[in-house]
Amino acid sequence: MSPAPADPLEYKPLDGGWGWMVVIGAHISIGFAYATPKVLSIFFNEIQQDLGSSFSEIALISSIMLAAMYAGGPVSSAMVNRFGSRPIVMLGGLLCGVSMITASFGTSIIYLYFCIGVIGGCGLSLNLNASLIIISKYFLKRRPLANGLAMAGSPVFLCVLAPFNQYLLVNFGWRGSLLILGGLMLHCCVAGALMRPVPLPCKPPSYALEKTVEEQPNSGNTKLKKRFVKNAKKFLDFSLFKDRGFVIYLIGSIMFIFGAYAPIVFLSAYAKSQGVEEYSAAYLLSIMGFVDMFVRPGTGLIANSKLVRPRIQYFFSFALVFNGTCHLLCPLIKSYAFLVVYAVFFGIGFGMVFALIFECLMDLMGSQRFPRAVGLVTIIECFPMLLGPPAAGLLVDVYHDYKYLFLMCGSVILTGGLFLFVMNIYNYHMLDKERQKQVRASEVEMKLTPQAGTGQTEPEAKERNVALRDPENTETTD
Amino acid sequence: MIPGKRRAAVMSFSAAIFGALLLQSVSSQNEPSITASEHTTLPVEGDMYMLQCNLTSYQNIHQESYWTKNGEEIPETRSPNRNTEYKLHKPRGDDAGVYMCVFTFDLSPSANATIEVKSAPEITGHKRSENRNEGQRALLYCKSVGYPHPAWTWRKFDNGIYREIDNSTGRFFVSSKDNYTELHIIDLDIGLDPGEYSCNATNMIGSREEKSVLRVRSHLAPLWPLLGVLAEIIILIVIIVVYEKRKKPEDLQDGESPVKTNSTNNHKDKNLRQRNTN
Repeated sequence: MSPAPADPLEYKPLDGGWGWMVVIGAHISIGFAYATPKVLSIFFNEIQQDLGSSFSEIALISSIMLAAMYAGGPVSSAMVNRFGSRPIVMLGGLLCGVSMITASFGTSIIYLYFCIGVIGGCGLSLNLNASLIIISKYFLKRRPLANGLAMAGSPVFLCVLAPFNQYLLVNFGWRGSLLILGGLMLHCCVAGALMRPVPLPCKPPSYALEKTVEEQPNSGNTKLKKRFVKNAKKFLDFSLFKDRGFVIYLIGSIMFIFGAYAPIVFLSAYAKSQGVEEYSAAYLLSIMGFVDMFVRPGTGLIANSKLVRPRIQYFFSFALVFNGTCHLLCPLIKSYAFLVVYAVFFGIGFGMVFALIFECLMDLMGSQRFPRAVGLVTIIECFPMLLGPPAAGLLVDVYHDYKYLFLMCGSVILTGGLFLFVMNIYNYHMLDKERQKQVRASEVEMKLTPQAGTGQTEPEAKERNVALRDPENTETTD
Repeated sequence: MIPGKRRAAVMSFSAAIFGALLLQSVSSQNEPSITASEHTTLPVEGDMYMLQCNLTSYQNIHQESYWTKNGEEIPETRSPNRNTEYKLHKPRGDDAGVYMCVFTFDLSPSANATIEVKSAPEITGHKRSENRNEGQRALLYCKSVGYPHPAWTWRKFDNGIYREIDNSTGRFFVSSKDNYTELHIIDLDIGLDPGEYSCNATNMIGSREEKSVLRVRSHLAPLWPLLGVLAEIIILIVIIVVYEKRKKPEDLQDGESPVKTNSTNNHKDKNLRQRNTN
């Protein structure tokens, strides 16, 4: 059963109508966020020739962009809490566009690190977090589907931008391509325009948090320290670590991110080492991306069904286990036909996990705590994401065999999935216990009041254990 | 001169010459002689061509023999036989060259025989297309295999035929060496330079050529697409914002009713517990 959020929603989410336009906006925004660092690598060869630097120096651009995108999470979440999603996505789009356009005039690699890496990465982080937050505000009943559709932006944009970038490179050179790509990234501003703010009846709770912190007494020496703590609390809410479900999710997703990207990076190299020719090896990644495109909305649809939605955390751990098993079976594959099958299953597993990764966090945290949670999760995920592929590469260098890479990634992801599964059983069990306690406490309170007890709360509570979460019911409890 | 003395001089002279000739024949008997296969031109019939060297006469003890190709020793060809062979399997362009079988001796210098395997040039590497911005420098190259090394010429396709490259502007530089040639063009001109170029390799057996396309991009080329994209984005944003402003009065009504229904629900279900919400 999906745990109820600790804080009730103050309004009924639209779950449709303009919400679908918001999903389109989020789709575009998330698509650019995940696809851009990957497709920039198409330009690297020409940039390398022009600026005369080594390949690892050039590849650092993508890494800096990804790191900035993830590390900017808390700041982005805090800004969204303050200003709402729309201005933040428009600002993010503007930053991305400006970063690419200015980068096209670059003459040194450090300039590119700053323009594309830092500024571009910040823009993308604003886009990513704001899009996720607004989905959590617009949807509840159909939220898994909305999440699946929005996250599908990543493979769609990857499949579209990759050949498009190649075409731009041939016809305009890398400078012209960056110029045009910058213009295209301004479509994130259009996506932002679509994200109409949700009409809130009262102040957002972030103000409440700030007020409680401000009310603490400031005395002498500790004044500076308290101000620092207050500012830090604005961006990073460490109280989330007290939430059992959050910690479990965090550990599971760290393990997944550590093992997730390395197989993608090394898949074509592995295929070539097995004797597959170059174009067919590159084709494997396209197959994976293509399958991913359809699996994400499909997973969202499945996760939305009555059967799966209450047990969505188990579905998430199943997706991780599926992914891990896929990688573990890869070293047994020698022929190209089976590699294609592996790429298909890899695409399925990858798409399932990414369609659910933010939906599960929304499910655990509720729409009020989600902004802070997602900021914290993205900045923590920065580390396994940057460490994963180099660690895998080190394994390949030491053992001169790709199978250890797949074994390591597969086992880490599989362990993460099993960990999530077991710990979620424990977590649900504890949550049920707590709810029983609450129900009994409210029953006692009801019996003390003179009005007739309709006895609705107990069956209501039991109903909640099996059925979908209903916003009206959640408002009745606290 | 006294007749007797003249006869003596002639006799000693002819004796010297005879002696020299004898010495020559004796020493040539001491020099080793090798019978080798004929020079040949590829392609040959059949799947294999055999290069043979037979050491027919030698004075000192023969040590071993090996083969070289174009001056470099071919690995794993060393053998102690007097009759040595080297097989060329399905000989192609890169099998052409100057082959030499070398026989080494203990006490005298080694002897060798040369076999030339000729073929027409085959162009194995070239750039199919080169795209550069104006003012930059372009590099077109061609690689070939074959023997003897070809003479390279570069031509440009102009008005229907291939012409010699017009270097009146002094921007074209050709450097050729053996089986490799490069055409450098500096300070690309967007009007004169784009087009099809061909490198031609010719040797006494035959000739081949390959085409490369050179495109020169203008600096301002990406500006038009960029302006187009910017215009499209501004139009889309204007449409979305205008649509929202016009729908706003209706939206406000929709926005309030969910709040109202919530509070009415609260009243319905929470008649038991009075809570101060909204």
